Amino acid sequence: MSIEAINEQLLRAIGVGVALVETKSLTVRFANDTFVEWFGPPDDTVSLYEVLPAFDRDAAIAGLKTDGKFTAEVTFKVKRRTMTVAVEFNRALEDEENMIVLVCQNITRIKELESMIDSYSMMVERNTHEIRREKEQVEKLLLNMMPRTAYEEYKSFGVVAPRVFDSVSVLTLDFADFDAILAAHEPAVIVSELNDIYTAFDRIGEQFGCERVRTTGDSYFAVSGVPDPVRDHPGSIANTALRFLRYLKRRNETHPIAWKARVGLASGPVVGSVVGVQRYIYDVFGPAVTTADTVRLAAEPMAIAADGSIADLLDSRFAIKLLDHAAGPAPAAAEAFVLSESDVASQP
Amino acid sequence: MDKSLYEKYGGFSTVSKIVMTLYDKLLDDDDVGPFFDDVDMARLIDHQTKFVSSLMGGPASFTDTHIESAHKHLTIYDAHFDKLKELVAETLSGFSVDEEDIQTVLAAFEQRRSLLTES
Repeated sequence: MSIEAINEQLLRAIGVGVALVETKSLTVRFANDTFVEWFGPPDDTVSLYEVLPAFDRDAAIAGLKTDGKFTAEVTFKVKRRTMTVAVEFNRALEDEENMIVLVCQNITRIKELESMIDSYSMMVERNTHEIRREKEQVEKLLLNMMPRTAYEEYKSFGVVAPRVFDSVSVLTLDFADFDAILAAHEPAVIVSELNDIYTAFDRIGEQFGCERVRTTGDSYFAVSGVPDPVRDHPGSIANTALRFLRYLKRRNETHPIAWKARVGLASGPVVGSVVGVQRYIYDVFGPAVTTADTVRLAAEPMAIAADGSIADLLDSRFAIKLLDHAAGPAPAAAEAFVLSESDVASQP
Repeated sequence: MDKSLYEKYGGFSTVSKIVMTLYDKLLDDDDVGPFFDDVDMARLIDHQTKFVSSLMGGPASFTDTHIESAHKHLTIYDAHFDKLKELVAETLSGFSVDEEDIQTVLAAFEQRRSLLTES
């Protein structure tokens, strides 16, 4: 077999469709087996435009003129399968005669895979969106349990290291006659009332730079200076305490249950940390918390008892007077003061 | 089941091959193939990708209502359903999916028979 014969055999057998087209008549002169399988055998009387399903003929002519080549994608069906073939037109000269060489590659699979990737990426994008939404909900829940800085630390390291805060201010609050109120009302009413009050407290605290640590039944516990430092934490906690009482006074005027809060304030060191392995809770404890709890016992209903540790730090915006231990409901461990609104502070 | 079949058999890398094989089989088959005569290629591939992903617990899931309404305009008989089931089983075993897992997939598939076939 001659080299030429081998070449022709090869050309006929390869999986790429090859055809020679006469430029003037645009008829197929030669086509290999693959081309014939897709587009039929060469026919002198049929123009290329009829052989190949719709392609941009003007663009093809222009492309051949300027660059000597042009590429088009042709789509047709074989049985029920959609086939896509990329057809490359190349201008060639043979015996002084202008010819076009068509090289056709089957890109059906590529098109099918492209469709599949489109479909898959849309599924994944939708899932990613859902996961993001769920993550936001989890984040929101966790932020209810710990301050943002503690949450960020938890997210990065999986733990929150306990931290000592040397100088912060603490507010603890409970309600006088809580047991009597509890006995006289439906639990649902109590819960809804406390929800209402604590939500208002949270908002007031936020306004003055305090953060609620936790509530346990009728006790509400907030700090200023944990975990983010607050420059005037004694002023911030004192203002919060005064606003709490002002809010309750107003609320009691229009609501059936009169809530009478006793507030204890103290300043000093505390420890802040996430406690618990399965049930995370950000907790704050330490001397300042204990002192605030103790001094609260000396507070009359709807009054604020301030420990010496915070009273020393408060400026003239606040009216402070020494607590008369004999008149107080319970003896405070150390010197305690009553904090009330001074003329300046009582301005709205 | 801790891991979905989708994860167990290599995620999208395997599922994509399963989808293409099933697509070839469906089109070549003269019993179920005619259902796809006039379906656009991209739509059919999209459908197959979601179909295989959901069968294997991947990132797609069809509700029964969705399945029912998508096939409402087709007249599918039990024989067609059986043939498709056979093609799915054949395709999965071609990718060395455990017999037990194939049965799990087919059982989930079988549950939807009444949504698709003419009674």
